[in-house]
Amino acid sequence: MWMGCIACAAIILGVLALVLWYLISIGRQSVNLAFFAQDPQPYGADGYPGGMRNALVGTAILVGLASAVGVPVGILGGVYLSEYRTRAWLTETVRFTADVLAGVPSIVVGILGYELLVVPLGHFNGWAGALALAFIMIPIVTRTTEEMLHLIPGSYREASIALGATKARTIVRVVLPAATGGLITGVMLALARVAGETAPLLFTALGSRLLTFDPRYPFPSLTKQIYDYATGPYAEQKQQAWAGILILIVLIFSFNLLVRLFTRPRQFRA
Amino acid sequence: MSSTAAPASSKGVASESPHHSSFRTARHRRAYRSDKILEVVATGSATALLLLLGALVAVLVYAAVPSFRTFGLAFLVHSEWRPNELERFKRDAQGQIVKDQDGEPVTETIPPAFGALPVIYGTAVSSAISLTFAVPFSLGCALFLVRIAPRSTAKPVSFLIEFLVAIPSIAYGIWGLYILAPFLQQHVEPPLNAVFVSVPGLHWLGSDATTGRDLFCGSLVLAIMVIPIITAVSRDVLRAVPRAQIEGTTALGATWWQTSREMLRYSRSGLFGAIMLGLARAAGETMAVAMVIGNVNQVRPSPFAAAQTMSSLLANEFAEASSDLHRAALLEVALVLLVMSLLFNVVARWLVVGGGQASGAGGH
Amino acid sequence: MNRLLHTAAAAVLALSASFASGATRLQGAGSTFVAPMMQRWVTEYQKQLPDVQIDYQSIGSGGGIKAFIEKTVDFGASDAPLNKKEFSQAGGEAAVVQVPVIAGAVVPAYNLPEFRGELRLDGPTLADIFLGKIKNWNDPRIGALNPGAPLPSLGITPAHRTDGSGTTFIFTNYLATQSQEFKDRVGAAKQVEWPGGSGGKGNEGVTQVVESTPGAIGYIELAYALQNKVPFAVMKNADGQFVKATSDSASAAGEQAVRRMDANNAAPLWNQHGPNVYPISGFVYVFVRKDLSYMQDKPKAQSVAAFLMWATHDGQQLASQLDYAPLSAAVQARAAKALSQLNWSGSALTSALR
Repeated sequence: MWMGCIACAAIILGVLALVLWYLISIGRQSVNLAFFAQDPQPYGADGYPGGMRNALVGTAILVGLASAVGVPVGILGGVYLSEYRTRAWLTETVRFTADVLAGVPSIVVGILGYELLVVPLGHFNGWAGALALAFIMIPIVTRTTEEMLHLIPGSYREASIALGATKARTIVRVVLPAATGGLITGVMLALARVAGETAPLLFTALGSRLLTFDPRYPFPSLTKQIYDYATGPYAEQKQQAWAGILILIVLIFSFNLLVRLFTRPRQFRA
Repeated sequence: MSSTAAPASSKGVASESPHHSSFRTARHRRAYRSDKILEVVATGSATALLLLLGALVAVLVYAAVPSFRTFGLAFLVHSEWRPNELERFKRDAQGQIVKDQDGEPVTETIPPAFGALPVIYGTAVSSAISLTFAVPFSLGCALFLVRIAPRSTAKPVSFLIEFLVAIPSIAYGIWGLYILAPFLQQHVEPPLNAVFVSVPGLHWLGSDATTGRDLFCGSLVLAIMVIPIITAVSRDVLRAVPRAQIEGTTALGATWWQTSREMLRYSRSGLFGAIMLGLARAAGETMAVAMVIGNVNQVRPSPFAAAQTMSSLLANEFAEASSDLHRAALLEVALVLLVMSLLFNVVARWLVVGGGQASGAGGH
Repeated sequence: MNRLLHTAAAAVLALSASFASGATRLQGAGSTFVAPMMQRWVTEYQKQLPDVQIDYQSIGSGGGIKAFIEKTVDFGASDAPLNKKEFSQAGGEAAVVQVPVIAGAVVPAYNLPEFRGELRLDGPTLADIFLGKIKNWNDPRIGALNPGAPLPSLGITPAHRTDGSGTTFIFTNYLATQSQEFKDRVGAAKQVEWPGGSGGKGNEGVTQVVESTPGAIGYIELAYALQNKVPFAVMKNADGQFVKATSDSASAAGEQAVRRMDANNAAPLWNQHGPNVYPISGFVYVFVRKDLSYMQDKPKAQSVAAFLMWATHDGQQLASQLDYAPLSAAVQARAAKALSQLNWSGSALTSALR
């Protein structure tokens, strides 16, 4: 029977290897300088198919904007859950809500973004996409922040108070810096998750074939562009989609690797 | 959102009393104020989470109201999803065209009809099939990680499995579309279909066409996507089984498998929770499924028939719903999806956390 | 730390604003049918006027109409003209300018690996295929249309659109003229309930379904079939002639169009009579609001009018390169007349251009 378990693990890893090998091998052929340096060109035009520069920049901007909202709210929420907890019912409810929100299908988040941010504004826009991504980030960052702050021994806080610092000072100058590694872990996990999302962007940012820095209008993203190309018939665009997927996977893999590197040296003996 | 009045009520860390003699200096008043500000801001951020969930539910319910009013609860069991009106000749009971007094055929307009049964069916069956494939592999792998693998192997394998969780859904979709679907279409589905069709009693499982883009392919892709989640959580749950339990069972003469079975039985509520988390992900998964499931709103018993899940329906139709009623119907589907995933997550959390505590393991 | 945040915020706002004020940005959305042509027009127009950036989102005719009604785009494109309800949602027929910009052909593309030569089909057979009544390629009805060409025993998978589509509108309207049962059971609209088959999003998606599924048959725009070298069937037209879809045969369908045009410049091009007329043809319409002052950006309004005028006149020269059917001179005249109604609070936008 134990051989069966080894077989299970081997099969799972085997499938992973299959999936990754396929994506890497087809992606490798299509990644070139043009991919990073050029914007998409339509079929029949000079320079077809161009590249995915606009989508790479677009995802970077969307994730950046999402973090600008999601990271502070998430970290502060985690701070509340770990350090303040002024009312038991609030703390429990917030913690529960964070767990529950983390499991909401991302397409439903996209629909919320559409109803609240696209319809009133009058058009698809990048802000709606960024905020939908922030919606997904916040519960993740909140919970990981709380967990990481819990790992900091109480003695740190007590020593700080004993030296005359206020609670706020303790948190900002002592606790948070001590947990930096863990906080970065949480943020990076959230970033990696959000960078790979497509569904929330389908009807918020919509997508664009132009290089643009203006989130008030439809905004390109790597995942949406990959989806469009992959479900289309044009062979050259499909190759671009493979390259895009490879870049995305490399990005996410490196984030996960960095997370591992960060968590190891900063383990506290509880 | 106001912070507590009495500073002494906050747990863990005492804050400065405003009546302390040194509070008279401006510096201390500033410090106390910043204390309050941080508390308010942190509480506000935490409350923001409640607002996010509230907004989600409120907006969906509000926008789905026209659909509630038109279809009522029958929405969940009707299988016709027709966004267009049908203009056709009115026919009587014998099928003859009805004519008015001038001898002209009478036309009738059938309004659009929306029923969520096909997508509820698609989500339910694809999730169920995916779990059937995923659970045995996941539990086997979790047992491997906890009981068999040495530390040096368990760590990288765990990392790789957690990396599987992080792979974006669209990557699985592309792999499914270009590798799995053609493979199924050429090598797996025709022979299986032939078997179904020829065996009496099983022929309802057969299908006219086996395209590889169907419920079966969607379920397999989902299975691959939920295996890492179930494995990761099961591994944590199994790790929390007390050594005393394992040693006791072995001491009573149990074989390796009997002990493992005992571990599984001991942590069954946590394992159910892990499975439910996998189920929640399977039900909510959009992109990978939308690319391989065939995108047809129909209820067919064959796994080789094209289907649609709630999330793939939304991905396909939401951006240009052709009428207000269509949009309301889609929003009602989104609401059903939300409620379902919330339910799964709540139950999963209760099982994993509650079950863990009941069996003596730590909280998180 | 504060300084850094302030500077960063200022930089972001500045970047954002600078890109807002520089180029004129037009947003269009809709039909995937016209997307290859539209993309080409956009590229050519931007070569001539680099200050104008036009973004066309290929989201399906239904999406284009919806976006146009909600004013989330500057112009919408659709192979299905606006119906009464959509006109009233957009502010009434008097508030909207609807012009045909190009004509195209919808072809039944198929995937029959061992079949050589050109498949022939007629309307009633095609309708029955999409109704699910003809399930296998070796059906005698298909064989009767293709004497001497052996057809394999292979299940038929009809591929259709999952999104709101003008291509579906043209195709279902054609089939509704060919089969009463199709008209009664499925109907003719942008989005219908197809009995079975496989769904794809956009012309792109259906093309991909057909390409990758042996035995599939799907309805797509001619340009997609040609660009991706997907074989398509030759159709029997209303006069009994088997006609292959080309730029010319779609144009032939458009010849009669002006006579049939309604007050809003819409005309059905399917199932027309005449020599060498391809039976599954249709116009692509673009809609804009007549009074563009709601844009609150006069240069932008002028750009919209100029672009549309260019596309319906100079842009037509590019049509046959991409296997679309250019507008006949009579239709162009009507388009010009309609576009001349574009105004900014009453003052015409197009008089300065022609």
